[in-house]
Amino acid sequence: MSTIFKQENLKTDLLTINMGPQHPATHGVLRVEIKTDSEIVAEATPYLGYLHRCMEKHCEHLDYRGVIPFTDRMDYLAAMNAEMGYVLTVEKMLGTEVPERAQYIRTIVAELQRLASHLMFFGVYAIDLGAFSPFLYAFQDREFILRIFEEISGARLLYNYVWLGGVWNDISDSQLKRIEGYLDELEENIKKYHTLVGENKIFIGRTANVGVVSKEMAYDYGATGPVLRGSGVDWDLRKKRPYGIYDKFDFDVITGEGLKGQLGDCWDRYYVRMLEMHESIKILRQCLDGIEEGPIMGKVSKIVKVPKGEIYLRTECPRGELGYHLISDGGKTPYRVKVKSSCFTHVSMLPELAPGQMIADFVATIGSIDIVLGEVDR
Amino acid sequence: MHNELASYINSQVTDANAVANIAEVGDSSISISSAKVYDVCKLLRDGEYEYNVLQVITGCDYPDENKIEVSYILASYTKNTELILKTALDREGDLTVASVVSIWSAANFQERETYDMLGVNFDGHPDHRRILCPEDWEGFPLRKDYVPAESYKDMTINPVHKMNIGEREFGAKHAHIKGATTSVKNYSVDAPEESEELNN
Repeated sequence: MSTIFKQENLKTDLLTINMGPQHPATHGVLRVEIKTDSEIVAEATPYLGYLHRCMEKHCEHLDYRGVIPFTDRMDYLAAMNAEMGYVLTVEKMLGTEVPERAQYIRTIVAELQRLASHLMFFGVYAIDLGAFSPFLYAFQDREFILRIFEEISGARLLYNYVWLGGVWNDISDSQLKRIEGYLDELEENIKKYHTLVGENKIFIGRTANVGVVSKEMAYDYGATGPVLRGSGVDWDLRKKRPYGIYDKFDFDVITGEGLKGQLGDCWDRYYVRMLEMHESIKILRQCLDGIEEGPIMGKVSKIVKVPKGEIYLRTECPRGELGYHLISDGGKTPYRVKVKSSCFTHVSMLPELAPGQMIADFVATIGSIDIVLGEVDR
Repeated sequence: MHNELASYINSQVTDANAVANIAEVGDSSISISSAKVYDVCKLLRDGEYEYNVLQVITGCDYPDENKIEVSYILASYTKNTELILKTALDREGDLTVASVVSIWSAANFQERETYDMLGVNFDGHPDHRRILCPEDWEGFPLRKDYVPAESYKDMTINPVHKMNIGEREFGAKHAHIKGATTSVKNYSVDAPEESEELNN
């Protein structure tokens, strides 16, 4: 009898579980094959491509303006930033001069989009960890931003608003006033949300010391954006390699400090995003002060022909750096467009972060790197 | 900067054949011999230029020049610099370069994507599989001579009843306006013929 229950007589095996492709905690159609030893993850392999829409191939058949709507559909939660990155890349090749007002409007929409995206992160991350109501709060504020976007561009998520040479539509004074009025409320709200969720004992227990990305690992994997800054690296493209008119504004780069646990854990990444929203509000206030009347569209020829050559330009998007590698052969269509997606890079960190974690902690880790599968698969 | 860097690479790695391509428009780059990719990458990360982050590995197909170019875009977060490092592979011959996964872990997914899209093999890659396309997919989509597959397993790709015929008709209707045609080279059905109904 006793021999049956001896440890060496019991057969153990790792259990393979497919998390996804349809799973509420993977933020889209990501499939992660997990090998588990009871509740502990031993190995995780991400499988991508469920949302692959051949964006790069499509770009080779479209004219330069036609690519802009495609960039929207990559990171559908931060479409304005993706558009802006692409447009800046082409404009740099063309040498287009963009009017001052258009630059300001671009910065306004980009920062509003960053706020909307981070609010979305805040809501969805709380859901990942089992708190439902923060989601509703976050969506309330995000709704204001989306309404403004709908008024100025005609669409709530996929805008096609930032065009070569400027922006598609002007923004009225009353809209600017409404944004300015709302910023105070939003700032208060974000503080409130942080006290509600970020300082919550259960939240800290779920996120502190979980999914630690060290500085070396962040460099090794090429992590960018809040993931890199959460690991304590002072790096923000808006400060270090300013594009557009970001060099005019005064704001701080937020880095993780390891306040609740080890440096670079999930809580740090969460906290970096929360504080970044305040910085975005700071930039927005300076924008609203500085914006002046003027044209919103520069001179761009009707048929865009980019001179022969190549360029790589990256911009700071809410999820990290989005880079465009554009090769032109002098024709009407791009010869090759390669999109460097930060989410793609961050997904590649999962196999190293997962081993040894509980499954629930793994969910917290995926949530904290804030991926959008549209951008991962393109 | 590129000229200095090229001579620095040549002085440290034998047979690297580093050449600086100075561009008037856009970014300049450095071309190296494909056999020395690993050594040069290691030098650039550990040497005095400190390119500590690998941004992208990407490729581009040039069928006319019979080459596939693989670009390594590196960045230094300590010195705030950026570099495009290129190597050309013979399109008909052996499309193999050394993997740099052991230098930067970021190369893992990037190399898999380059293999998936262009069919460049990375020697020494720990997990050499397709990443975005299914594993049994045939052909390499981002090559210029790629013909879109008509079916995958028992599924028809781009079936007629799911195509956006409206877009095609719109394009035909507005074809007389310069630059207004929709670009739909890859659709498997021809554009609707011009009829009186459409021209009205």
